[in-house]
Amino acid sequence: MSINGPKIYYEIPIFGGIPITETTVSVLVVTLILCIAGFLLGRNLTRRPGKIQVLVEKGVTMLRKMVIETMGEHNAHWVPFIGTIFLSSILGSLIGMTGFLKSTTANVSVVLVWAISVSVLIWYHSIKNNGFLGWLKGFTEPIVVMTPMNLVSEIAQPLSMAFRHFGNVIGGSVISSMIYTALAGLTSILVSLVVKNGLSVCFVVLAVGLLLTILGFKKHKLLLKILGIILSILGIFALLEHFRIIGSVPFLQVGIPAVLSLYFDLFSGFIQAFVFCLLTMVYISGACPPPEESEEAES
Amino acid sequence: MPEYQSLVSLDVWTALFTLINTIITFVVLKKFLFKPVLKVIDDRQKEIDDIYADAAKAKAEAQELQSTYTAKLSAAKAESEQILSAATRMAQQREEEILRDAQAQAARTLERAQEQIALEKKQAMHELKGQVSGIAVDIAAKVLGQDVDGKKHQKLIDTFIDELGE
Repeated sequence: MSINGPKIYYEIPIFGGIPITETTVSVLVVTLILCIAGFLLGRNLTRRPGKIQVLVEKGVTMLRKMVIETMGEHNAHWVPFIGTIFLSSILGSLIGMTGFLKSTTANVSVVLVWAISVSVLIWYHSIKNNGFLGWLKGFTEPIVVMTPMNLVSEIAQPLSMAFRHFGNVIGGSVISSMIYTALAGLTSILVSLVVKNGLSVCFVVLAVGLLLTILGFKKHKLLLKILGIILSILGIFALLEHFRIIGSVPFLQVGIPAVLSLYFDLFSGFIQAFVFCLLTMVYISGACPPPEESEEAES
Repeated sequence: MPEYQSLVSLDVWTALFTLINTIITFVVLKKFLFKPVLKVIDDRQKEIDDIYADAAKAKAEAQELQSTYTAKLSAAKAESEQILSAATRMAQQREEEILRDAQAQAARTLERAQEQIALEKKQAMHELKGQVSGIAVDIAAKVLGQDVDGKKHQKLIDTFIDELGE
């Protein structure tokens, strides 16, 4: 078993070779899906919304509510940016569930670009609000001794954001592939154990499996059902292998990884997108304080 | 045999590609999704607010109108009452006046009638006196058998009649 990064499909032979990898393709697919979906959903908006428009409006309203609650009313114009990051992140994570496309967020380059974009935006707004010298001076606060630590935290902020997201997604996929491998190994061990002991054992296993299944259905016991089905299938595959009809089939890979995928892909993908956006909002709202002084001047 | 990038690979091209794609996604989503959707939501919210504000205004106006009309109505009622009482008072006054006039006129008429009666009575008496004195002279002449000189005894006759008539 080997855990690799994204596969390189093709290398465009200019600029010393531009690699077209799984990630690149996924990023393109995510972009296309989001652009087309956004275009289609944003079309034909009416004052009396249809079912789809209600859903779209609900989503956008929730997002705006979240942005306003976290960043304040004056930062409501960040909604499209936060929405873009959120949708790109969640779709980038979920696209790994298709099986033939890799999650974009499983590549540290992708997430780091988002995190650095956030940092650049923060710097831009800090400089805009405080002036270049004021921004530089901000690193020496509260005391001059803190300057190196402030600089480190400034660099650590996007890195930690990126690696938190990337690490969760890649960790999930690593665990998933490990479990796949482990289940394949377990299957082959079980089947070979049965086959080695001769034809009669195969039949015994099958018979016990069927018995347990029937018993499980009669008594409505889930554990008995599962055990019975597994034993039956083990018996069937052992028989098939005994008569050299098919080779080893890692049938235990069916079922367990699906449950894990619910957690690692769906739940974790959503949570990580949410966390990333929440951190983005918190950092940006720190750089864009509410315009108190101008309000006071007006009043 | 396909090549692989390492698991934690910082690839500049992937990063650049992601950046461009993210920017495109951002622009497209902002222009085609977020802006129109937010605009529709805000427009609807504004419309609803307007409708509520209009309703509140109309209600306030209606209440104001109602209070105005109530005030006007009560004012009109008071005025009508005033007019009625004034008219009643005037009518009473007029009635009294008419009655007084009538009484005065009646009294005057009665007085005149009495005056006339008295005058006529006097006249009648006067005439009667003349006649009676003539008759008395005649009777006396007849009784005495001699001519009574009317002119001579006039004074005596008059005194007699006056005593008789009273």
